[in-house]
Amino acid sequence: MRTQLQQVSTRFSITLIDELAPERDDLLFVQVEKDQAVPFLTWLQELAGYTHLVFFTAVDFIEEGYFQLTYMVHDYSTHQDLAVLLKLDREDPVVESIHHLWPHAATYQQEMYEMYGIEFPGSPRLHDDFVLEGWDDLPPMRRDFDTRQYSEDTYFPRGGRKSRDTAEYMKEQLYPGEAETW
Amino acid sequence: MSIKDIIAPFSVWKRAFEKPYTSKRPIDERPGAARYRGFHINDMATCIGCGTCEEICQNAAIDMVPVSKTKHGDSGLRPMIDYGRCCWCALCVDICPSGSLGMSNEYIWVDSDPEVFRFIPGQDNKSWNDSSLGYRRAEGYDLLEGERVAMPMLSFEESQKSFIEMVQGYSEEQAKREADRCVACGICIATCPAHMKVPDYIEAIREGDMEEGLRIVYQANPLPASCGRVCSHACEYVCAVKHKGEALSIRWLKRYIIDQIYKNDYQKILDEIPEENGRHIAVIGSGPGGLSAAYYLRLLGYAVTVYDANEKAGGMLRYGIPEYRLPYEQVDKDIIYIEGLGVTIEQDTRIGVDLPLTDLYKKHDAIFFSTGLTDPYGLNIAGEDLKGVMSGLGMLDDVTQGKTPEIGSSVVVIGGGNVAMDAARTSRRYEADVTILYRRREADMPADEEEVEEAQGEGCQLITQAIPLRLEKGDKTRLRLYWGRAEMVPDGEGRRPKPVLVEGSEELIECDTVIPAIGQAADYSFIPEELLSSIEFTRGYVKVNEFYQTGDKKIFAGGDIANSKRDAISAIANGHSAAKGIDIYLKNFKEEVSRD
Amino acid sequence: MVGDKVKNRDKFPPVSDGKSQYDLYSGKYLKVWQGPQHPGITGNMSLELVTSGDQVVEARTHVGYLHRGFEKLMERRKYIQCFPLVCRICVPEPDFNEHLFAECTEELAGITVPERAQWLRALTLEMARLTSFLMWIGGQAGSFGMGTLGQWTVTMRDYMLDLFEELSGGRIYHMYIIPGGVRSDIPEGYFSRVEETLQKVEHVLDDIELALFHNAVFKKRAKGLGIIDPSLVDLYGITGPNARASGISRDVRKDSSYLIYDQLDFQPVTDVGGDAYARTWVRFQEMYQSIDLIRQMMHRMPESGPFFTKLPNVLHWKIPAGQTYKRAECTRGEYGFFMVSDGSEYPRRVAVRGPSYTHAVTLMERLAVGANIADVAGLMVSLHTYPPEIER
Ligand SMILES: Cc1cc2nc3c(=O)[nH]c(=O)nc-3n(C[C@H](O)[C@H](O)[C@H](O)COP(=O)(O)OP(=O)(O)OC[C@H]3O[C@@H](n4cnc5c(N)ncnc54)[C@H](O)[C@@H]3O)c2cc1C
Ligand code: SF4
Ligand code: SF4
Repeated sequence: MRTQLQQVSTRFSITLIDELAPERDDLLFVQVEKDQAVPFLTWLQELAGYTHLVFFTAVDFIEEGYFQLTYMVHDYSTHQDLAVLLKLDREDPVVESIHHLWPHAATYQQEMYEMYGIEFPGSPRLHDDFVLEGWDDLPPMRRDFDTRQYSEDTYFPRGGRKSRDTAEYMKEQLYPGEAETW
Repeated sequence: MSIKDIIAPFSVWKRAFEKPYTSKRPIDERPGAARYRGFHINDMATCIGCGTCEEICQNAAIDMVPVSKTKHGDSGLRPMIDYGRCCWCALCVDICPSGSLGMSNEYIWVDSDPEVFRFIPGQDNKSWNDSSLGYRRAEGYDLLEGERVAMPMLSFEESQKSFIEMVQGYSEEQAKREADRCVACGICIATCPAHMKVPDYIEAIREGDMEEGLRIVYQANPLPASCGRVCSHACEYVCAVKHKGEALSIRWLKRYIIDQIYKNDYQKILDEIPEENGRHIAVIGSGPGGLSAAYYLRLLGYAVTVYDANEKAGGMLRYGIPEYRLPYEQVDKDIIYIEGLGVTIEQDTRIGVDLPLTDLYKKHDAIFFSTGLTDPYGLNIAGEDLKGVMSGLGMLDDVTQGKTPEIGSSVVVIGGGNVAMDAARTSRRYEADVTILYRRREADMPADEEEVEEAQGEGCQLITQAIPLRLEKGDKTRLRLYWGRAEMVPDGEGRRPKPVLVEGSEELIECDTVIPAIGQAADYSFIPEELLSSIEFTRGYVKVNEFYQTGDKKIFAGGDIANSKRDAISAIANGHSAAKGIDIYLKNFKEEVSRD
Repeated sequence: MVGDKVKNRDKFPPVSDGKSQYDLYSGKYLKVWQGPQHPGITGNMSLELVTSGDQVVEARTHVGYLHRGFEKLMERRKYIQCFPLVCRICVPEPDFNEHLFAECTEELAGITVPERAQWLRALTLEMARLTSFLMWIGGQAGSFGMGTLGQWTVTMRDYMLDLFEELSGGRIYHMYIIPGGVRSDIPEGYFSRVEETLQKVEHVLDDIELALFHNAVFKKRAKGLGIIDPSLVDLYGITGPNARASGISRDVRKDSSYLIYDQLDFQPVTDVGGDAYARTWVRFQEMYQSIDLIRQMMHRMPESGPFFTKLPNVLHWKIPAGQTYKRAECTRGEYGFFMVSDGSEYPRRVAVRGPSYTHAVTLMERLAVGANIADVAGLMVSLHTYPPEIER
């Protein structure tokens, strides 16, 4: 597979990332540019034997300013997985849909729109609610959405709960007057 | 489709007579399985309130709540579990270092009041409290490591041949692995006399951030190169992980941080030196107490002069503790940095002899003294003044000064503390046969466990429950030491049993030298009458208030003369407290003056 | 593709590629909501059906009734703290989550698990499969009006849960497979009790064969229902028994063997019908297969040995940066975990690939079109979908 990928690496401007799964011979990571993703995936599906879209999801690397899209495809004849990674600018999260290649990709895309705010123009029912009915906050799987804050603002904490820090408590009890506390 | 397809389904009518799998409550009991994860149980007496259970609970179901006063090694807190959140995962049980927490196999409990489902297992009376069934961490599965990373050490054969440091220090990999065992409960912080932020500097080691580690250490201890080697490590005795086996090697991890940093780099890493504020403090004694006070006073902006009778600074760290435990260059490493901050140390200046205390009293805004214990106790037996009897302190002092002690080829050391162990092991290094006599049991010995073990490892013979009776001049050897066996007699509740001589027992050891090392007293002769009158003493200790201030407002004291623990770290803590005390006193004093 | 089963095809709107060609909002059609609590639908999900007469002309599935945000929660928890979470992702078959989470974590952390732990893991996974099938078959029969069968099998499931309770201390959420191995060895005499239960299950399965597979009603309704053409399998990401019932012989346990599966003797079960009946049959056979595999494991497992590898202190366990994907064959098909570590104490991302994600949404929406509304529940269950793994 590796050689096959190397042959098309310039055609689809892909780079193999070996360090991600060095121990695995059945899993390969490859990075693709945004405009080459769909052609590359089409080639994988139609010509390279990667007929199974295992899943399609996003990872938010907010510190570096991008979403990593992961198209995981599988070749049933060799039982090989190929993870196609795409770095998508967080500021402009729009990318071509792949529902025409695998119809169920539409569900992944619908979910990713809802959870990360990633646009896949043309994907069926993309903007319909998937899991979150009536959600009007930040797409919640983005790293900057603070679940704890949200729950504190939205729900009532149970009253009467108070915990003590071991070291602080011992200090209060045992050496409130000593140097450290002044 | 065949006729069978119509008939076959009817053939299973027979199942109507099958016994159903239901149980009738409350007639039938259906106890949970032996490993069932039901309501928690906690052995209140074993739990140490470390809060590790709270730390691991991913549901935030546990609160640590006060149930009693804090005890030694026990925070007095206990986990309270909110069953509105608990998911019965039992991770808290798995991680509990004391092994006190478990789960019963009880799972049925109906109540209309939701508040009752929050309680303190073990404290609140529940029918399952004594359940022997229910989930416990299985043998062969453990989330914590009870075994210490072994410290590279010289073998006993090697170590007894020279004064080369025996403990060789952790490598980075070893230190990180050891640091990884910490559960960061913080019980050690309370127990450390200086309240060092142990979990924080251990975390710095895990993170590989030595500079941060050094900063944390210096917040409470300006003699870490020394303490990292010889500290009496009260912290390790209460370490939560010790309940699983061996405590974190806290002392050696501190040493690891210091060993990683070159002494000339301290200045760059630690606090800026503040400008002098125009006030001047005198410190008497350059032992741990004096140096610690000097360091923190200097950081608070005071000019500090330390006066010390010895040729070199360090007090007992240098003149008491032998080099194979604490090399002099490590003492120097600590002292050089303190001197670098602008602290002046006047060596060879014995206050009361070379300079009267009253002079200092007049010249300085405040005085701190930490003069240590210099007068060894005698044995009070016949023959004590024979040639061949020398004090442990005196012998160790000689060695530090480069003199070879005249001990002959056989030595008996009397005592069970660190001084005794040091004298014994030092004697081994001069190729003497060494016997240690101690009047109580081995477990009662005040010396650190490691010390006792290493002394024996190096070939010192330990005889416990032995009371020296008298000394006579010998013929083959210099001395004949007669001693009797002691039996342990209970001495009232809460007190350790005391040794009482077995009437008529008498044994003999022939030896060249007898080294009494049974304790030492302070020498206050340097304090003149007019100052002495306002300073109070109790049983040999200087009486101080919580600011380490004596009866004379201007005079502060600390170290071995002011605390009963009599170790380096307590002296350091005293020095620190006194520095802050002096600061408070002087600031308030100024206000008083301006009001006048 | 829906096939010749639908007579008078021309009475209904023409369908192209699973989509109605008619204006469904003309007033000629009736919209029916089925669910979210419909008993025929395992778990909380709803179907929005557009019907013409009693025939479905368009179907949309809706999830969102039990979103718990596990994937997000895991990003805020240390690795060990994710361990009690993951099992909850799929209620009837939690062990696959535990197994895959553990495997991903171990791979990224570079930890190898002792052999005995591997056997014990495989044993629990296979027991979980059997248990999950026992629940499913009740739903399958129930959705065709044979509720009694479910009562038998749910009883059997309870016996299986007793075994889990004995092994792990929990009936539903076992929390047994932990990164590093498993949490305990088997109790004394455990295998004999497993064998006892297996025999009980077999006995019930024999009755079920008579009551279900030789049942005229079931045959009439399930045969020809929801046919999956083999050409759809890859296109729709169909895996597990749903694919195998359409003649596609794939089984992760064989193809990408994990744990100790390569040391066991078994062949993937397949059928060619591609319809609800074939799927039911395949799963039914797989129950016998699971029983057989459990027995094989009990015989071949090493007698004793360590079942856990010491982990670094889990309270501050940092896992080297990396990414991995692991899959396993659960009762519904390919279950997978995609884990991304950024080198910190917390996973950067854990994405769960549940087979129902494709089966219950895109595929169901396609297969429902043309079905009789009374058969929709049966169709849904024949795809063996578990909504909790869709919305995690
Ligand atoms: C052999 C031995 C082994 C020990 N081992 C350990 C150990 O392993 N761990 C541990 O924690 N502790 C140990 N200790 C105890 C520890 O060394 C002391 O508790 C600690 O040094 C006390 O510090 P300090 O400041 O009170 O006094 P000291 O360290 O005793 O220092 C007092 C200083 O004051 C000076 N001084 C006294 N009088 C005058 C004066 N009139 N004018 C000027 N200077 C004066 C002395 O010269 C000395 O330098 C050991 C002690 C000994 C003797
Ligand atoms: S972890 Fe154990 S010892 Fe620590 S507070 Fe909890 S129950 Fe007590
Ligand atoms: S069992 Fe789990 S959820 Fe419950 S208190 Fe313990 S750690 Fe928390």
